[in-house]
Amino acid sequence: MTVLKTSLRNFLAHKGRMALSAVAVLLSVAFVSGTLVFTDTMNTTFDKLFASTASDVSVSPKGAAAADESPQTGRPESLPASLVEQVRKTEGVQAAVGAIASTSVTVVDADDKNVGPTSGAPTIALNWSPNELRSVELVDGHEPRGPTDVVVDGATAEKHGLKIGDELRTIAVDGDFTAKISGIVDFKVTNPGATLVYFDTATAQRELLGKEGLFTQVQADAKPGVSDDALKADIAAAIGDGYKLQTAAEAADAGREDVAGFLDVMKYAMLGFAGIAFLVGIFLIVNTFSMLVAQRTREIGLMRAIGSSRKQINRSVLVEALLLGIVGSVAGVAAGVGLAVGLMKLMSSMGMELSTRDLTVAWTTPVVGLALGIVVTVLAAYIPARRAGKVSPMAALRDAGTPADGKAGRVRGGLGLALTAAGAAALWAATRAEEAGPGSLWLGLGVVLSLLGFIVIGPLLAGGVVRALGVVVLRVFGPVGRMAERNALRNPRRTGATGAALMIGLALVACLSVVGSSMVASATDELDRSVGADFIVQSGTGQPIVPQAQAALEKVTSLDHVTEYKWVDAKVTDTRGRTTTADLAATEPTYMQDLRRETASGTLADAYGKDAMSVGSDYATEHGVKVGDVLTVAFTGGGKAKLKVAAITADTGQVDNGAMYTDVSTVARYVPADRMPKSLLILASAKEGQETQAYEAVKDALAPYPQYKASNQADYKEDLKDQVGQLLNIVYGLLALAIVVAILGVVNTLALSVVERTREIGLMRAIGLSRRQLRRMIRLESVVIALFGALLGLGLGMGWGTAAQKLLALEGLGVLEIPWPTILTVFVGSAFVGLFAALVPAFRAGRMNVLNAIASE
Amino acid sequence: MTSAVTIPRHGGTGGRTAVAARARQVVKAYGTGETRVVALDAVDVDIARGRFTAIMGPSGSGKSTLMHCLAGLDTVTSGEIHLDETEITGLKDKKLTQLRRDRIGFIFQAFNLLPTLSAIENITLPMDIAGRKPDAEWLRRVVDTVGLSDRLKHRPNQLSGGQQQRVAVARALAARPEIIFGDEPTGNLDSRAGAEVLGFLRQSVDELGQTIVMVTHDPVAASYADRVLYLADGRIVDEMERPTADAVLDRMKDFDARGRTS
Repeated sequence: MTVLKTSLRNFLAHKGRMALSAVAVLLSVAFVSGTLVFTDTMNTTFDKLFASTASDVSVSPKGAAAADESPQTGRPESLPASLVEQVRKTEGVQAAVGAIASTSVTVVDADDKNVGPTSGAPTIALNWSPNELRSVELVDGHEPRGPTDVVVDGATAEKHGLKIGDELRTIAVDGDFTAKISGIVDFKVTNPGATLVYFDTATAQRELLGKEGLFTQVQADAKPGVSDDALKADIAAAIGDGYKLQTAAEAADAGREDVAGFLDVMKYAMLGFAGIAFLVGIFLIVNTFSMLVAQRTREIGLMRAIGSSRKQINRSVLVEALLLGIVGSVAGVAAGVGLAVGLMKLMSSMGMELSTRDLTVAWTTPVVGLALGIVVTVLAAYIPARRAGKVSPMAALRDAGTPADGKAGRVRGGLGLALTAAGAAALWAATRAEEAGPGSLWLGLGVVLSLLGFIVIGPLLAGGVVRALGVVVLRVFGPVGRMAERNALRNPRRTGATGAALMIGLALVACLSVVGSSMVASATDELDRSVGADFIVQSGTGQPIVPQAQAALEKVTSLDHVTEYKWVDAKVTDTRGRTTTADLAATEPTYMQDLRRETASGTLADAYGKDAMSVGSDYATEHGVKVGDVLTVAFTGGGKAKLKVAAITADTGQVDNGAMYTDVSTVARYVPADRMPKSLLILASAKEGQETQAYEAVKDALAPYPQYKASNQADYKEDLKDQVGQLLNIVYGLLALAIVVAILGVVNTLALSVVERTREIGLMRAIGLSRRQLRRMIRLESVVIALFGALLGLGLGMGWGTAAQKLLALEGLGVLEIPWPTILTVFVGSAFVGLFAALVPAFRAGRMNVLNAIASE
Repeated sequence: MTSAVTIPRHGGTGGRTAVAARARQVVKAYGTGETRVVALDAVDVDIARGRFTAIMGPSGSGKSTLMHCLAGLDTVTSGEIHLDETEITGLKDKKLTQLRRDRIGFIFQAFNLLPTLSAIENITLPMDIAGRKPDAEWLRRVVDTVGLSDRLKHRPNQLSGGQQQRVAVARALAARPEIIFGDEPTGNLDSRAGAEVLGFLRQSVDELGQTIVMVTHDPVAASYADRVLYLADGRIVDEMERPTADAVLDRMKDFDARGRTS
């Protein structure tokens, strides 16, 4: 009881000193619970969406692609209309409706602007049927009644300023067609971002599927009393094999599974970053409690002298930690819900609509948040608590001057060196790895060990590094700089822990920036070496390149040639009868100029001959295939072909590794025209000296097709760089949390040491140190701690990054590039972080009353 | 060494008055209204240059407050304090800090030294802060006088209490301040170490012409001074020239007795 009382009093008496630790706990817990709430909410949103759209039983073609994938042919798999009738007649069916849905479309407004989502969500073209009214309601105009009517969803209409009567052009594989907006629908549940357009059934069939009398799905609803499963069995019996049947529950599960993968990746990535923040927070908590215990040494000594047991002292500190954990975690869980709402708003601004209506706080969220926050806090306080228990009763009698924390010991040095050496060895092993699998294990081990090693050895390094920094940075500031240096060195363990907290975040930043820029450099290098094409045309939405866009490109006169590139699904059987599934790269002989490939044997040009192909050297080795061998290729949706291997390409580069090339005309002989895949991308080269005009002309030709993007090599490289840059920025943004916690740690250390050094500060002020000098001294100490953390972190991170690049060289990441500007910016930036962290502590030290500070009684 | 040493001071010696510091009608009060407590009640005092002045008085008499005000550590409620020709009442913190740094030396009862700095660094700290070079010759002499030549590289926690106070004395002397203020400088020392430190203070007055003001409640310490001022209830109630420990003690007893009977 008394333990609780003293703990509570101490906690309340020092709540200011605990505040930053509480904030650190709060931030980490908020991030965890925010992530959980956010992903749970997304799940709820999708669950509701799938539940609202699914019929009791749906019948789809067997080969139907997942809802958000564009089939290679540019046209979804279809079913005959007669099947609808067949299903309708089945026992137990209340109603059956034929439905059409295609994601292989792009819808543009009058200015040729894509009205589809930019967030990666699909544009879906549907036929209007009564079933649609389950998920949407018509809020304006009327349903589509003829070939010139189209209905669009309200969110899209609002975003692009569309209204009734506006003309929309739909780009589908069988050509473009236009329709005027006849109505606008709103979703009854949250639509997370897809653009929807509805046509009347005949138009949808004609324009999306190529001819009337086809559907992509039959949707059946059960009579009352008939279960979905029973209905599914009955329909299966009635229509026979060859179809994919799903009950509403199965369809929802399948839909959820599609989304779950993405959501899980996001969830675990964010939790990972929260974990890093927690790790950093531990340093802050350890430091806080160490300093509180040190400041309270006399008091604890007195408690011991009057008879408190070690255990009681120990427990009293842990109870304080418990209180801190509870306060921080409760606030953290609340802040987490706020964070999730903020995240949803952010996603909405990026085109992914989420509604707070669906906000889901599972009971596990607060439990996990509280448990994590409290357990981590108490664990972190354990070492300082133990140290408090060890305070001797004699401490009460000694002078209370700043306690000299024991010098970092030899054991620590040995352990740290051993860990660091083991980490370095593991990293070295990773660079030597022959295979990516074991190599990445070595890499992970090396990262963890070297990090631990640096954390352990940090206080020892603090001495050397701070002195070195002192020579460079502090000496300029004369005696003030010298005192700052001494202060930073005074308690190496504290400086080490404070710096280490910053080190963790910055090491990850450095590592990722090295890997990122090596990625860009390697890809650029590869492009320079292998790509001969001037222009690359790619789809931004996943819709394969429609023939009308390709035709427009072929009309550009300043182009020397246009090469189409398709992937054809096939089963390839080698001479010994072993079959593998492969995508054949069907292209044209000009492709050899567009992408330079080395051949291991044979002549690549011959592979474009009649009934010929090439294989990659890996495949050739594995299957014992030589030039001249004949492989059996069974094209999906087409016939079987016997193709002669005319060349074996060397799988050394990064682009098109292992591709099996064949001529488009060869494929065309075995695959019927309507099953022929459309081009995945198109390469083109300008006529000699007409590069600039050609680029403009290509862009003009593609202007009506905004889903495709043409880039020349320079722009392509720039895009690549931007993409990697964007990805890195997201990761840096997430790491910012850990860095913020680390900065709080610096503030905390400084603030507590200012309190601890009250008398010293008073003395210095009394003998003539000006406020400015005093503030500068504290700022410099802060800068030195920050630079110490930055130096360690950047060094460690560059080591990790280099090891990762050497390992990834196996995957084509051949060029190591250290992004010095970034590294330097981070280093200089951390000096500013130090300045910033010292703002409040320095201000408070300057404001300290000289007399109070030196009052000796 | 009894020869009068001419003490080179910055600012020159010309026009110097015999009074190093003076207080006129100094009032220091805390709180307002009913809770108003007067620590100094219209105090007038002159501190003679080149002399050793002790301020005595019982606890709560205002002796420390008077010293803090004279030294520019504390502000006064009313009245004027001059250090030489400079009026320090009303100076801004910046000027006061400079004044303390350049013209005043301090010796506190405890915690006089920065634990991170060595003895010599502590001694030269005020000059370092000011960005001035210490006069090497003078520094050597001060260090020799206090007998610390072989301990200069030591950190404070490697020195005994007496040695620490001697470092503090050396620091106060090294910058050649116009005035040194001591706040019970021997309060934490045993009688032998205390006598040593007081001896140095006396010596620096006699040999170096230093002006020293010391607050103490120890009659023996006060007996090292040239003049003792007695403070009670915020007023100067008496003074004594050339005190001896016994005389001081007797006087104190008088006050105590009067205090009890009044």
